[in-house]
Amino acid sequence: MSLIDKIKNIFRKNRTKSISENSNSDEIAIRVEHLTMEFKITKDKIDTLKEYVIRTIKRNKKDKEKVRVLEDINFNVYKGDRMGILGFNGAGKSTLLKILAGIYEPTYGKITINGKVAPLLELGAGFDKNYTGKNNIYLNGAFLSMDEEFIDSKYDEILEFSELGDYINYPVKNYSSGMRAKLGFSVATLVEPDILIIDEILSVGDIKFRKKSSEKIRSMMHDGVTVLLVSHSIAQIKEVCDKCIWIENGHLIMEGEVNEVCDAYMKSAESGKK
Amino acid sequence: MFDTFSEKKFLLKQLVKRDLTSKYKDSVLGILWSFFNPLLIMLVFTAIFSMLFGQNIQNYPVYFLSGRIIYDFYSMGTKGAMNSIRKNAELLKKIYVPKYMFSVSAICYEFINFLISFVILFGVMVITGASFHLTSVFAVVPIFFLFLLIFGVGLILAVCNTYFSDIGYLYNVFILVLMYASALFYPIEIVPARVQIIFSLNPVYSAVSCFREAVVYGVVPSTGTLLYLATFSIATLLIGIILFSMYEKKLALEL
Repeated sequence: MSLIDKIKNIFRKNRTKSISENSNSDEIAIRVEHLTMEFKITKDKIDTLKEYVIRTIKRNKKDKEKVRVLEDINFNVYKGDRMGILGFNGAGKSTLLKILAGIYEPTYGKITINGKVAPLLELGAGFDKNYTGKNNIYLNGAFLSMDEEFIDSKYDEILEFSELGDYINYPVKNYSSGMRAKLGFSVATLVEPDILIIDEILSVGDIKFRKKSSEKIRSMMHDGVTVLLVSHSIAQIKEVCDKCIWIENGHLIMEGEVNEVCDAYMKSAESGKK
Repeated sequence: MFDTFSEKKFLLKQLVKRDLTSKYKDSVLGILWSFFNPLLIMLVFTAIFSMLFGQNIQNYPVYFLSGRIIYDFYSMGTKGAMNSIRKNAELLKKIYVPKYMFSVSAICYEFINFLISFVILFGVMVITGASFHLTSVFAVVPIFFLFLLIFGVGLILAVCNTYFSDIGYLYNVFILVLMYASALFYPIEIVPARVQIIFSLNPVYSAVSCFREAVVYGVVPSTGTLLYLATFSIATLLIGIILFSMYEKKLALEL
């Protein structure tokens, strides 16, 4: 155990450092400064040592081709804001959310986050298909940084919300995709975050569950929770959000009040069609 | 995310449990394989090599098994940690989980297997009529440092293997060499004295010999060897932790 503690301390040290940096800007929930994200292109990626050595010897380790998915993005999200993110496919919206969720490290730039984040990006990530629904609740909960007591206390709530009934004791591999999504949704929405990051998952399951899930999301949005929402449905963004940013080809095109940005976005989409 | 110890502890528990259940899900004997595997290997090696080396080694099955379980822990633990990041690539691209948790859980899982193999060693010692010694308590020391060593090597390999997918093949060869250089199934005396010095540089052999001294021969493990093992392990662990924390955040991009 002493070893784990040691490692923990190292990571804790890093964390406290970044928190102390944050504390001077209390109003801001998320601050994104000069965020740039580059991906290496797969076809050019050297991923074996053999190839690396050969290319070094042959000296054709040509500069790796990189794609800039996001370039110099700057914006602030204040506490209690509900920010929509608009953009066509491939604009970089999901990458932005993944960076905010801590999955990717930005190539350049800085991100400051104040508060507990709940990223609802992928439902049921890490489900083990051989596990029963019940075991998967615990496994998935662990991945979402919940502890055992918390899940124990919320177990009945999850079971009820997921509408799985007796199926909870069957392996997840026998579930339909709808059932899986319901279970994932029920676990993921347990948390009481300060910042909610949502990537188009408001619509899972059948009509009945869809209604229930959007109600749940809406209830999570109460009490001054900060929301970041990616959606292709303008209506949904207009309904949920009060502010909006529009990203295109990795650039931040517009930032402002929700109706303004949505109208501009619609206009551009229509003119693009012609 | 993952700020409190109880969250991490629970994640670790769940990960180890997942490894345990997934490994044996389709086999009838289930977890019993953890017992049978070292036992069967011991029988094979005893059958083949006790004729060759039998006269130099008092109790061949115990001699072999005591070395083998140490080596197995090392090889399985480091390999498990090495593959831990790649194996969970899909997950790591979807949600944020501290990546070292996967390496830690892989090693903990192998540690459980290691503890199970102790039962085998105990059983074989009873059956072969080997004597038990109080000095066995000292075996904890080399095992502790072996654990640190596995941790360090595992973290280093996990990073390398994520960047270069063929590290695994190279390591498999390396670990085979390491097995021959750990005097598992032959007495160290048959090795020329000059080469024995090279052996003594092998930290796995240090762990094996200290473990044998404590458990099989009933003497206190030699301080020099322990010191070497301790220094090597702690240094490796430090390098591993530094390397891993430098690259942890970049790993998701390489998956």
